[in-house]
Amino acid sequence: MVLSRRTATYMLLVACLVLFLSPFGWLAVTALKAPAELRALPIHWWPHQPDLANFQDALTAFDYLGYARNSLTISVTYSVLVTFASAWAGFGFARLEAPGKRLIFGVLMSTMMLPAVITLIPTYLMFAKLHLLNTYMPWVLWGLCGAPYLIFLFRQFFVNMPKELEEAAIVDGCGTIRIFARIFLPQSWPVIATSLILSFAWTWGDYIAPALLLDDDHTTLAVKLATGYVNAHGEPLSNLVAAGAVMYVLPVLALFLIMQRGFVAGVATSGLK
Amino acid sequence: MSTDQLAGRPTRRPRPSSPAAGTRGRPAGGRLSLRQRRAGAFYLFAGPWLLGFLALTAYPLGYALWLSFTNSDGLSPHVSFVGLANYREVFTDPDTMASLGRTGLFTAITVPLSIIGGLLLAVLVNQPIRARGLFRTLLYLPAVVPPVGAALTFKLIFDRDSGAVNGFLDLLHINGVPWLVDPYARWVLVALTMWAVGNVMIISLAGLQDIPKELHEAARVDGASPWQSFTRITLPLLSPVIFFQVVTGIIGALQSFAPLLIAINPTPAGVTSVPESNYFYMIDVFAQYFANGRYGYASAMLWVLFLVIILITFLLFRLSRGAVFYSVEPESAQTKRRTIGGA
Repeated sequence: MVLSRRTATYMLLVACLVLFLSPFGWLAVTALKAPAELRALPIHWWPHQPDLANFQDALTAFDYLGYARNSLTISVTYSVLVTFASAWAGFGFARLEAPGKRLIFGVLMSTMMLPAVITLIPTYLMFAKLHLLNTYMPWVLWGLCGAPYLIFLFRQFFVNMPKELEEAAIVDGCGTIRIFARIFLPQSWPVIATSLILSFAWTWGDYIAPALLLDDDHTTLAVKLATGYVNAHGEPLSNLVAAGAVMYVLPVLALFLIMQRGFVAGVATSGLK
Repeated sequence: MSTDQLAGRPTRRPRPSSPAAGTRGRPAGGRLSLRQRRAGAFYLFAGPWLLGFLALTAYPLGYALWLSFTNSDGLSPHVSFVGLANYREVFTDPDTMASLGRTGLFTAITVPLSIIGGLLLAVLVNQPIRARGLFRTLLYLPAVVPPVGAALTFKLIFDRDSGAVNGFLDLLHINGVPWLVDPYARWVLVALTMWAVGNVMIISLAGLQDIPKELHEAARVDGASPWQSFTRITLPLLSPVIFFQVVTGIIGALQSFAPLLIAINPTPAGVTSVPESNYFYMIDVFAQYFANGRYGYASAMLWVLFLVIILITFLLFRLSRGAVFYSVEPESAQTKRRTIGGA
């Protein structure tokens, strides 16, 4: 009985795994197919002559690396800034007291309910007036302010840290900023890892903001990838799309796999307590 | 609690040497200046976010509200106030209402599916099995794929001629269908949404791991079946987590613009290539905004969506009373105790 239940669990898990991972497999297979093979009937489940030329072509069909650099610039800038700024604000909400704090925290929490798209049009008009279109300044500004969800994550983590830590520091004459920088920040690496992954993935994957605020030269890979691979008739070149998508998705997956221990710890320790 | 206060107060009193109190000539170590300094520290830390909220969220939100009462097209300098005309149009335009209905249907399908699916997966990977860390990681993996990458992948899988789904159906001697057009396109979108169910799984898993093992052991000793143990212990204790996911899931699904990414021709006019069954509210917003340049009307549409979300959230919180079971004391008491000074 026990054995059969365990076997059933494994079978279910493997079935789920096949279902969830097969899209990655198909993406890889398509990326290795020659154009003629794409139209083969019945379908080739494995390319008869796997060819890496698609990757070469995907890189040169447009300035792939240039757009990747744009994406990377925005994502790294934003994720580093927003992680620090969110830790900074999260510390304030977790360990400091002031009149009005409850109200401000209420506002912070309710902004998580706010549909981001509602501010879309005015944000565009505002940045146009400030002459910040086609620059990466909007991401710097967004980063410096912190993100409510990440602030909440850091707050939850900092709230649960023992009081003795800062009491000892106060006795030693540490100021609030030093307590934050020397004691709380170094302890919060699981949340820092979570925050870096999440914010990097958001910006790397974001479609709306770059499509709206950046022109074709300054835009990100996410936007360019969606339109870049078409033939003269406007039909999509599926094998190049697949090759381009593989190279676009891999960095995020790699980042996640490298940092996932910290990520899971971050969600588990601070996500919902 | 009282020891905290005893330990906290005297250590901070004899600190008149601190520069803030000393240089500004306030009564050194006096209660008022200490409190002000503490408040100052809070605003130093919360300030950047607060400023950003005012400039980058509150101001655009108010701007959107103002736009929604005008006929602005973003270009013409002559903007006139049209009162509630835009709102009247949102509620009377059959196309807009149809797009809202489709979005509602998509929400009603995907939110329960992903919550139940994610919970089942979480229970599955919480079993005492080998390599469960690996299973968790791999099942979560699709959730980190960027939306555009996921959309392109699903376009390739559901392609009529070269896609894997029709190829697989062909093996079973079933004729494939053109998945990316009406009326099938809706299901591609549902599949795409479900691919990221790992998000729900990982949050449910964190919730499951918070449930004390002793409860299940006690239930087993008392002769409860696994099913009873699940429905009487796991579900009630998980209800706040499930409730949180219902709320965020609905908010997210109502704002979904995934069809735009599947259609993937997102030039200003590209929204017209979205199949009708996937022509969601947000797609309509984009069409009004990009293709028609109707900033005023699009803003009114977004404000209506915002109000719908507020209403739904409010109703959910109302309805959840009694259904959501909070086992821990309200957090604020705990928080207060642990803040610096604990004022």
